[in-house]
Amino acid sequence: MSATTRRGFLAKSVLGGGAAFGLSSLLGARSSEAFAAEVDRRYDIKSGDWIPSCCNMCGGQTGILCQVVDGRLVRIKPNDANPAGFSNISDDFFANCRTEGASMCPKGNAGIMTLYDPDRLARPVRRTNPKKGIGVDPGWTEISWEEAYSEIARRMKALLDAGTPEALLWWSEDHSFTHIQGDFCQLFGTPNYSNHSNLCDTARKASFKAVTGDERPLMDAIQSRYILLFGWNPLGATKWSLLPRILTRGQERGAKLVVVDPYFSATARKAQEWIPIRPSTDGAMALAMAHVIIRDGLYDKKFVEEWTHGFDRFSDYVKDKTPAWAEKISTVPAGTIERIAREFATTQPSLADVWSGPGQHSNAVHGGAAIACLNALTGSYDRPGTLHLPNKKGNAHGHLHADKPKAPRFADDNKLYPMFHGSGVYCEIFKKLAEGTGNYPAKMGMIVFQNPMMSVPGTETVAKALSNLEFLVVNDIFLSETAQFADIVVPGTLFLERYDWNTQWVTWPVLALRQPVVKPIFGQPAEYEFICELGRRLGLRDQDGKEFFRIGALSGRPVESLSAWYEEYLSSESKNGAPKMTLEEIKALPGATWVDKGGTKYEKYRKEMSTEDLAKATCVKTQVGGIEVEQLWDKPKDQGGKKIGTRIGGKAVKGFATPTGKVEFVLTCLTGKKDAEGKPCADLPVYEPRDWQPDAQYPLYLINWKEATHTHSRTQNNRWLLELQPGNPLQVNTKTGARLGLRDGDQAWVESKFGKMKVTVHLTEEIHPEVVGTQHGFGHWALGEEAKGRGSSDSGLRPTRADPIGGQAMHKQCCVRIYRA
Amino acid sequence: MATPQDTPFPPSPPAESRREFLAGRAATAVAGALAVASLGGCGPASPPAQEGSAARRWGMVIDLRRCVACKACVASCKSENKTPPGVAYNVFIEEEQGTFPYVRRVAFTRPCMQCAKSSCAQVCPTGATYHRADGIVAVDYEKCIGCRYCIAACPYGARSFDYGHDYIEKAGNPYNEIPSSEYGASYGLRHKGGSPEGNVRKCTFCLHLQDEKGEYREPPACVRTCMGKAIHFGDLKDPEGVCVAHGEKMQALLAHRGNYRLKEELGNEPAVYYLPV
Ligand code: SF4
Ligand code: SF4
Ligand code: SF4
Repeated sequence: MSATTRRGFLAKSVLGGGAAFGLSSLLGARSSEAFAAEVDRRYDIKSGDWIPSCCNMCGGQTGILCQVVDGRLVRIKPNDANPAGFSNISDDFFANCRTEGASMCPKGNAGIMTLYDPDRLARPVRRTNPKKGIGVDPGWTEISWEEAYSEIARRMKALLDAGTPEALLWWSEDHSFTHIQGDFCQLFGTPNYSNHSNLCDTARKASFKAVTGDERPLMDAIQSRYILLFGWNPLGATKWSLLPRILTRGQERGAKLVVVDPYFSATARKAQEWIPIRPSTDGAMALAMAHVIIRDGLYDKKFVEEWTHGFDRFSDYVKDKTPAWAEKISTVPAGTIERIAREFATTQPSLADVWSGPGQHSNAVHGGAAIACLNALTGSYDRPGTLHLPNKKGNAHGHLHADKPKAPRFADDNKLYPMFHGSGVYCEIFKKLAEGTGNYPAKMGMIVFQNPMMSVPGTETVAKALSNLEFLVVNDIFLSETAQFADIVVPGTLFLERYDWNTQWVTWPVLALRQPVVKPIFGQPAEYEFICELGRRLGLRDQDGKEFFRIGALSGRPVESLSAWYEEYLSSESKNGAPKMTLEEIKALPGATWVDKGGTKYEKYRKEMSTEDLAKATCVKTQVGGIEVEQLWDKPKDQGGKKIGTRIGGKAVKGFATPTGKVEFVLTCLTGKKDAEGKPCADLPVYEPRDWQPDAQYPLYLINWKEATHTHSRTQNNRWLLELQPGNPLQVNTKTGARLGLRDGDQAWVESKFGKMKVTVHLTEEIHPEVVGTQHGFGHWALGEEAKGRGSSDSGLRPTRADPIGGQAMHKQCCVRIYRA
Repeated sequence: MATPQDTPFPPSPPAESRREFLAGRAATAVAGALAVASLGGCGPASPPAQEGSAARRWGMVIDLRRCVACKACVASCKSENKTPPGVAYNVFIEEEQGTFPYVRRVAFTRPCMQCAKSSCAQVCPTGATYHRADGIVAVDYEKCIGCRYCIAACPYGARSFDYGHDYIEKAGNPYNEIPSSEYGASYGLRHKGGSPEGNVRKCTFCLHLQDEKGEYREPPACVRTCMGKAIHFGDLKDPEGVCVAHGEKMQALLAHRGNYRLKEELGNEPAVYYLPV
C-alpha cells in the first residue's frame, strides 16, 4: 500500500461513520438523507448537447452520439440513425434498429481517453538535432503555428520554383480528408499522394476485383445459412460495429459459421467450427473444395452457365487439386475439406469470404481469387445471404480543373503492380526511397495521420527512407515513432474535433457526417484547415485561374475562414452526391446520417439497361479471354467514358464490372500481364506456395492479428483500452513451446533473417503448432508514456515488400525461430 | 469453438463442464480470498430499503451465444461511471479450454450480481452497503469507512477499492473536470481525501439513469453499447417486464435454454442470469 493510499484508508477508518470530511464537508453536508436529494444534473445523461457524429478510433466510422457539457465531452454512445452500428442490410436496419438500438465497440467507448490524453501534442515542434534515427533524440523545440506554416510553405515553394513539385511525397490515412489532400497534390503538381489501404486489404480488393469486378463485396451474414471465413476476423477486427450483431444473428437464424485461420481468433471462438490451417495455404484448400463441388456436380449450373466466364479451364485446372493434395499443403484433413465443400455447396445461401489473413503474403491475390471462385460456383454474389456487391454511392469528389501531374510516380508503383490500387504501394515507395532508386530525387515528405515506422514492414528500411528526405513534416496527435524523423511536427486533431463524410460499410447508399463535437482542444487547425492554409500560402490555382483553397466550392466566392471554406467543400460533395443535400441539411437529419430509402438491392447484375441508356450507349465489341464481348459504354473510352453494361445472352444488362461482364474463373485482367517482380501472372486462381517458407534455421511461421480492444498502432496509449488489453504476448502452441523449452511467461527472442523482437511467451492450445503470432500494434518506443515499452512490434522482422500483384504490404509473411532471452 | 469433425450442425448445447466452470472456478478466481468473510455478521440484519421502486426487481439476462467477448461493456462502464484505475464495476472473464484443435473459450462479462441475499451487505459494519427496494445493492459513500470486508466477502469479486488513483494526473486536464454520474453525481469531482476515494465501489446497474419513479430513462451503459446485444436488462418481478434496451420479454428469455446464475449453490440469489452458449 502506498503512502497516499494508506493515508486515505486511515483517514476514512478514523473518521468513519456518516461524518463528512475533507472537501465534501466544505461543499455542504452529504449525509445519507441528503444523498438522493442532492443531485448534480449538469452531467446527467439528458443534459448538455448530444451531437451526432462518426467514430474514427479505427477506420470503421461507426455512428456515435456525443454528449457535451460546458465544452467538455462527457459521454459517447451509439447512434441509432446510422446503420454502421447495426446492420449492413437495409430491411434489417429499417425494421429492427429502432427497437434494438445500435452498438459501439470498446475503442469508440474509450474515445474520451484519447481526446484528453495528456501525451497529445499541443503545439508545433521543430527538431534541433539534424541527426535522424531510431532512438535519436530530435531535440524538439516548440514553435508557433506561424513559424510552422511559413517554413513548410517555404520548403514547398522551393520545389515549385525548381519545377520539381513531384519531389514531394505524401502519405495519409485512407478514411479521413483524403479528397482535399488528393486535390492539394494535384494542384501542387505531385503524383505522389498515397494512403493507407495498401497496408490493409488491397490484395483482397484485387482478388475480388479480378473475379467479380467489384473490389469490396460485403458479407450478408444475417440472411446467410453458411458463412465460411478464411483468415477474416470480423469479431476481432471489429471496425464497423455492426459486425458482431450480424454474425451472431445470422447464427441465431440457423447459419453455420466456419472459420479457417491458423489462430483461434475472436471469430473462430464464436464459430461452430474452427479449421486451423497453415498460413497462406487457404487458396489450396479453396481449390480442393472447388474440386469436390465440381466433381460431385454440386455447383449452381444455371448461374455458372449464364453468369460466369472460364468455367471449363477452371474445372480442368482443379481436376487434380484433390483434398488429399490440399491436405499436404494446408494440414487441413482431406475429410474435412470434402465435408466443408459439400456443406458449403448444399447449404444455401452460403458465402465464402477472405480478408487479411491470407491477404498479406506473396500469393495473396490468387489465393483470394480461389476463394472468390467458390462463391462463383454457388452463385453466391449479390443475392440475399451471400457476398453482396454494395451500392457505394455517397458524396461526390468534385471534379478538379487541373491537369494530372506530368511526372511519373516516384516509385513507378502504378506501372509495376498489375492490379495497382489507387492508394499506392508504400513498400515500393519506402524501399526505393531508402535505396535512392526512385525515378527522381524525393526531397520532401508529408505524413498525415500515419505511422509507417510501426505499420510498414521493415522498420530499418522505413527509418532509412525517412532519413533520406531533406525535409519531413508529420501531422499527428502524438509524437509517434514516425514523428521522431520529422523536421517539423504539427498537432493534428482527433475525430471528435473535426469534420468528414463517411460512406458506411453497408450494402446500400448511406452518408453520415463526422463533425466537431468539441473545439480542437489546443486550438489547433484540423488537418484540412492545415492543408487549406498551405494551399493559400502557395497560391495554388486551378486551370481556370481560380484560387482553389480560397473560393467556396458552392458559392464561387472567396471564403476567408478555413473552416467555412471546408464546410462548403463538404457541402458541394453531398449536394452533388447521392443525397443531393447540403452539409447543413444533412446535419439536421436524425443522427446526421442520410440513409437512402431505396435500401439494399439484389442481383443488380441482371438488371436490363433502360432504353434511354441503351440509345445513348457506345457499343464496343472486344476480344476478352478468347471470346467476343459486346460492352456498352456511356461514352467512348477516349472521352472518359465508363462501361455501364454488357450484352449477355442477347440482353443488354448491367452485368458484373469485369471485362466479360460475368464472374470470371479465368482472370482476364491478368492475362498476359507481368507482376512487379517481372514474373508472368497466371490468369487462373492458381495455388503457388508463398515465396518465403520455414526452413531448418527459421522453422516457424509468424503471423499477427487484431483484437477488438485496439486498432493498428494508434490506440496503445489509451488508458482504458490498455486496461482491457495491456500488451501482446506471443502465442505459442503448448507442444511447440515444450519442444523449444519455453514456459508460459518466459521472455524470449523471436528472430527472422531481417530482425528480432523480444516477447513474453504465452503457451496456448489456441494456435497451429507450426505458427506463432501476436496482436499487431504494440511495441512502441515513442507515441506516449503509456504506450512506450509495452509489448512487441514485429514490423522489423520482415522486409519492406508488397505482394507483387496488388501491392499489399506482406505483414504476415515471415519465418522465425524463438529462443529464451 | 472447434468441434470434432463429425459434430452435427447446429452444435449441441454446451457440455456440463462449462456450467461447472461458471459456477465454480472462474468466479472463485476473481473473488480472491474468502477468509475475511467470516468476520461478517455485524451488518444490519435486514438491510434498509432506501430508494428505488419496490414494484421492481431489476435484473440482467446475459446471452452468451451473442456475446463476442469484445469488452465494449467494460469500456462503456468506465465511460459512464468514470471509475478510476483499479476500480472495475464489470470485468470480462475468459478461460481457454481443451486441446488443439478442439479448443474453446469460456468467456463472460461479470457485473455485480445485485444479490437478493448479498454477502457484502451482511458483513458491512456500518450499513453503508444496503439493498434498495428495487433490488439494487448500493453503497452509501458517506457511511463507507473503507474497511473492505465486503470485498473479501463478495463471492463474485464484484467490488473494488478506490485507492485514489487517477488515469490522468495532470492538473487542469478537462477529463478531471467531469464528475462521475454515479449516484446522480452527488459526489461531484474527484478530489483527494473525498469520497469516493477511500471507499469500496461497485456496479450500481447505473441507477443514476433511473427517473424519479425508478424507471430507466436509458439502458445501463453496458447494455446500451453491447456489440452482440447480449445483455438484456429489465424488471424480473413483472411477468410482462421487457428489456429496457431491446424490448424482449425478460421472462421469455429465461424460459428457454436452461439459464443459470453464477455460484447458485451459495444461495446469494443473484439478479444476473446467463444463457449458455
Ligand atoms: S455480487 Fe458481490 S457486491 Fe454484488 S451484491 Fe452480490 S455479494 Fe454484493
Ligand atoms: S450496469 Fe452500469 S455500473 Fe453495472 S456494469 Fe453495466 S455499465 Fe457498469
Ligand atoms: S459488450 Fe456485449 S458482446 Fe461485448 S463482451 Fe460485453 S457482453 Fe460480450
